[in-house]
Amino acid sequence: MNKKANIFPRVFLVLVGIYLLLPFGMTLIYSLFVEWTDVLPHGFTLRNYADLFSDAEFWACIGRTLVLCAVSVMLTIFILLLAMYVVIIVDRRLAKFMQLVCMIPYALQGVILSIGIISIYSGTGTILSNRMLMLFGAYTILVLPYIYQGIRNSINAIDVNTLLQAAEMLGCGKFRAYVQVVIPNIFSGILISALLAESIVFGDFVLANNIAGNNYQNIQVFLNRRMFRSSGLASAIVVIIFAVVFIITGLVLKLQGKEREEK
Amino acid sequence: MAYIEFQNVVKRFGDNTVLDHISASINKGELVTLLGPSGCGKSTLLRCLAGLEQVTEGKIFLDGREITNAPASQRCIGMVFQQYSLFPNMSVEQNIAFGLKMQKKSKDEIAKLVKNAMELVELDGKEKEYPGSLSGGQQQRVALARAIVTQPKVLLLDEPLSAIDAKLRKSLQGRIREIHKELGLTTIFVTHDQDEAMVMSDVIQLFYAGHIEQSGTPVSIYTAPATNFAASFIGSYNQVDSEAFQRMTGMETMPDSTVVIRPETITISRDLPAADDCLTLRGRVIDSLPRGNVLRYSVQVEDTVFRVDALFRSFHIFENGEEIYLSIPRHDCLSLSNERGA
Repeated sequence: MNKKANIFPRVFLVLVGIYLLLPFGMTLIYSLFVEWTDVLPHGFTLRNYADLFSDAEFWACIGRTLVLCAVSVMLTIFILLLAMYVVIIVDRRLAKFMQLVCMIPYALQGVILSIGIISIYSGTGTILSNRMLMLFGAYTILVLPYIYQGIRNSINAIDVNTLLQAAEMLGCGKFRAYVQVVIPNIFSGILISALLAESIVFGDFVLANNIAGNNYQNIQVFLNRRMFRSSGLASAIVVIIFAVVFIITGLVLKLQGKEREEK
Repeated sequence: MAYIEFQNVVKRFGDNTVLDHISASINKGELVTLLGPSGCGKSTLLRCLAGLEQVTEGKIFLDGREITNAPASQRCIGMVFQQYSLFPNMSVEQNIAFGLKMQKKSKDEIAKLVKNAMELVELDGKEKEYPGSLSGGQQQRVALARAIVTQPKVLLLDEPLSAIDAKLRKSLQGRIREIHKELGLTTIFVTHDQDEAMVMSDVIQLFYAGHIEQSGTPVSIYTAPATNFAASFIGSYNQVDSEAFQRMTGMETMPDSTVVIRPETITISRDLPAADDCLTLRGRVIDSLPRGNVLRYSVQVEDTVFRVDALFRSFHIFENGEEIYLSIPRHDCLSLSNERGA
């Protein structure tokens, strides 16, 4: 009876895993064969990958996407941590206002957000009318709710006030206490929300295409352009996007695990 | 001027006055306990001294310097919180070293002071462990080491033992007392436990409803409570209305007052006692409760029930319903005015 009860969750987990990995597996298979018009594909080839890896534009797009991810996510984390400091130290009542502001991007569709940003900033003649900077700004807005939720939940999970007061009693100023005591204790939450945000930026096409297009081509725009040329190549790009996101996530989680082990 | 002075300190949260014109002095090197029931203002006064709360009115002085508006980080005060508040991301030695780093001590000096502090609280060998892997008692000792390692002018302990089991609490009470004697550190201890206050303190400041009801040594407060509240809170005193007491005993009492008598000063016996300087009452045992080495009897005398503590001797036990005599020394019957205190 017990054995049966133990097996069921495992079987369920495996089935869910297969369901989630099936599209990825199919895309991988598709990218490795010349044709798939029958039940089974035929004509195994690595040509799509060889073409892709020898394409300098592909690497440039991967690089641009990573920069977009890193800059926008870090900028959002920085802004939110400062804002949360003000909420904690100055006035807790500001938290409601901040939550409202941070939740607005949830309600905005990519098309509306991109058109709104373009209509406000383009042609203003300021530095913000630069399409590349506009895109960085747009992503900073896009990931705001995800990172806010992560930071807020982590802060709520620890007794911030008492930790700050304990640090103050040891001669530490408020801001320094926030940086040295509170932030390290919510680091896991920040990291997880950053990973979520990073995958959202990595997978975005609408904002990148509408705001920057060819001016600052990211991997999704690159995928869109190549899709019409060869479906095998497009599948190979999707597989690599998956792999890159997977590697980044794995690395960060491994680092986090190592840190926990040391503790 | 005393080492610590509170001058007419008032603290209000909105319309609620938590501290009502508190004036008190604490001498250097004393271990003072702020004792009182929950919500009486004792922790608030401690937090005002620490700088974690701003006073609404009044002044606070420490070592001759006014610190009323000084930031907490600049008051040179160490504090142990009720929930320890150790930094979870730091190891035991990093927690203890935190304050020393803020003081910009050299690495060698920090290592030496941390080692000394860990020895003092008997935590050797736990340097690399993290707070999450320590027991409540160990965490409390880390918090204590972290607070004293910076050599503060005053050590504040905000109900630090309330979350610890009775046996460990007793052992830590003794350790805190020993450390206090060893370092000679002025220490203020907050508790709602009168037994803890009696064991630990040089001086007790008894709080009630935002003011200091009585202050003095544990013995003086225990043997001579100034108010009805002090009598009820500190020593389980029998409290008898003065008119009823006069009717029962014939002893002259102050009008509109309560006569208070400690349970252990009353002698219970089967035979009529002969002592001249004692009041004698005839009553009936209605209940008895063993309390360690003491047996607490409830004795009905007319409409009043007296609590009587007698040494627990198996050959000398009174049964429920038994008619007995109570003998109360006259000088142990204290008359307290009903005008002040609860």
